[in-house]
Amino acid sequence: MALIEVTDLVKEYKLNVRKKGLSGAIRSLLVPEFKLKRAVDSISFTIDKGDTVGFIGPNGAGKSTTVKMLTGILAPTSGSITVGGLSPFKERKKNAMRIGVVFGQKTQLWWDLPVIDTFDLLRHIYRIPAQAYKHNLAMFSEMLGLQDFINVPVRQLSLGQKMRADIAAALLHDPEILFFDEPTIGLDVVAKEKIREFITFVNREKGTTMLFTTHDMDDIERTCNRMIIIDKGTKIYDGTVEDIKRTYGNDRIMVVEFGEKAEPIRIPGVELIDAKDNRMWLRFHKDEIQASLILNRLTQKYSISDFTVQEPEIEGIIRDIYLGGIHLDKSVSGVC
Amino acid sequence: MTRAYLEFAKKSFQNNIVYRSEYVAGVINAIVMIFVNIAIWKAIYEEEGSLEGVQFKILATYIVLSFLLQTLYVMDEYFIEVKVRNGLVSSDLLKPIGFRLYVFSYTVGTLAFRFLLQMLPALILSIFLFHLLFPFSTVMFLYFLVSAILGYLVLYNLNFLIWVSSFWFYWTFSLVTIKDAAVMLLSGALIPFWFMPEGMIDTLQLLPFASIYSTPIQIYLGMVPEDEILTGLIRQAVWVLVLYAVGHVLWKGASRKLVVQGG
Ligand SMILES: Nc1ncnc2c1ncn2[C@@H]1O[C@H](COP(=O)(O)OP(=O)(O)O)[C@@H](O)[C@H]1O
Ligand SMILES: [Mg+2]
Repeated sequence: MALIEVTDLVKEYKLNVRKKGLSGAIRSLLVPEFKLKRAVDSISFTIDKGDTVGFIGPNGAGKSTTVKMLTGILAPTSGSITVGGLSPFKERKKNAMRIGVVFGQKTQLWWDLPVIDTFDLLRHIYRIPAQAYKHNLAMFSEMLGLQDFINVPVRQLSLGQKMRADIAAALLHDPEILFFDEPTIGLDVVAKEKIREFITFVNREKGTTMLFTTHDMDDIERTCNRMIIIDKGTKIYDGTVEDIKRTYGNDRIMVVEFGEKAEPIRIPGVELIDAKDNRMWLRFHKDEIQASLILNRLTQKYSISDFTVQEPEIEGIIRDIYLGGIHLDKSVSGVC
Repeated sequence: MTRAYLEFAKKSFQNNIVYRSEYVAGVINAIVMIFVNIAIWKAIYEEEGSLEGVQFKILATYIVLSFLLQTLYVMDEYFIEVKVRNGLVSSDLLKPIGFRLYVFSYTVGTLAFRFLLQMLPALILSIFLFHLLFPFSTVMFLYFLVSAILGYLVLYNLNFLIWVSSFWFYWTFSLVTIKDAAVMLLSGALIPFWFMPEGMIDTLQLLPFASIYSTPIQIYLGMVPEDEILTGLIRQAVWVLVLYAVGHVLWKGASRKLVVQGG
């Protein structure tokens, strides 16, 4: 049995509809009107022990909502979740004992206390054996460079320091499963890199199962062996990073700038994805047609003032998926 | 697990100590308030000679005790509200702890701080400055201690109702202000019940407020006949239970709202 099983998970938020003007405000007060917002729309997946899974999707896709349900602080509207055989929502405290959680935007540390005091509290809350506590604290301090600010109250820490302390705090009790919600948001490149290294290390050393959400593709490429793409509350891809790269790795996009207004041109094997002002975006398969040939055909009709050819980065592929530019075809193993 | 709650109390105690100017101010505030109130009553006494047959030194002791208890009973009224507004309640729920016990431990840590570093110094000063009378008898003093603890629990559970309402209102400043005014006027904290009209006293005895200040102080002063003490203590205990039960229902509603609507 998989460690985490999610089946047909749905979450609908109730939104208060506010009407305009004074009379509208009074009417809303007397007869509140609601609208349902489906943030997660029938998502299913399973995660095995030791997996590192990246949840990626644009803002508002439903990533945080999913993580909140997995950690037990949000009740699903329908569908089922089991985490290590427990229902996170119904057995919140039991579930909390074996998971670690990091929310990029909300610290889990006690605001007024020095970092070390939070750690000390956590030691008692999770009943961490003295030996394990000492060992973990030493290891995390070393790897995350906590020594510099371990005696500083949390409210005085920088974003990057807070995040490092938060990650250490979530791992002190050696949780089986770790949930991260945007752990690298707002951090600079160096801080991001440090955190990614640490995450990879912990997964390798302790076999901790990890699920984390991000909208930074690098996070996933560097740390995850699997990725789930979600958009508008539904899952649109679930598979390896390599798979998606391999399938789209031969695609090229040519951006051409013409000297004058140009009409769309039909060239076999070339797909026009966009045209704006004097520019055109053309997609082609590098094995089917050569770039020079395309340019040749174009220069026959129009003058070209500039052009570039882009290789696909995974980030770009995903952007295209969001925009509906790429239609995932069934040949890619993970397509849902 | 109990260890964790003890640690919360300890941390809250330490947290209070951090703000050093705060505890000096607390002691000074208590002394000034006692001084002002005694001065006011003295002026009234000088006009009237004697009031309701109660000696002035008894009244002075009442005032001192009331303000010492008030110093002790100050709680962080916005502890929950702040967490609700900045969304950190969910951080607390992500931990394997009971939220209500956590809040209570935190409050008890503050109580310990206020007892040692604010009430005790104020008490010692009061003995010299205001000629605080000793308890009526040792037995009465023990009853007083039990009653004062029950009074604290009544106030805590009453406060908890207001605090939890922040899950719906987000801002509870006005509610807290109204509650404070009600407690001040209806609990005997400022005006001992014996100065109030007969009919009103009966009504006040039916409300929870009397249990907070009036009951313990009157026991200390030996003003409650021995056979009525137990009734008084039971009435306090019943209020603790009733307010706790209401708080329980409210808390269940609040946590349901939280997990359904999201933090
Ligand atoms: N507590 C809430 N109440 C109402 N709507 C919410 C709430 N939380 C999130 N939403 C909405 O649900 C959708 C998904 O949000 P979220 O899960 O935070 O997305 P993500 O983390 O992928 O950016 C968004 O449209 C968001 O506005
Ligand atoms: Mg989010």
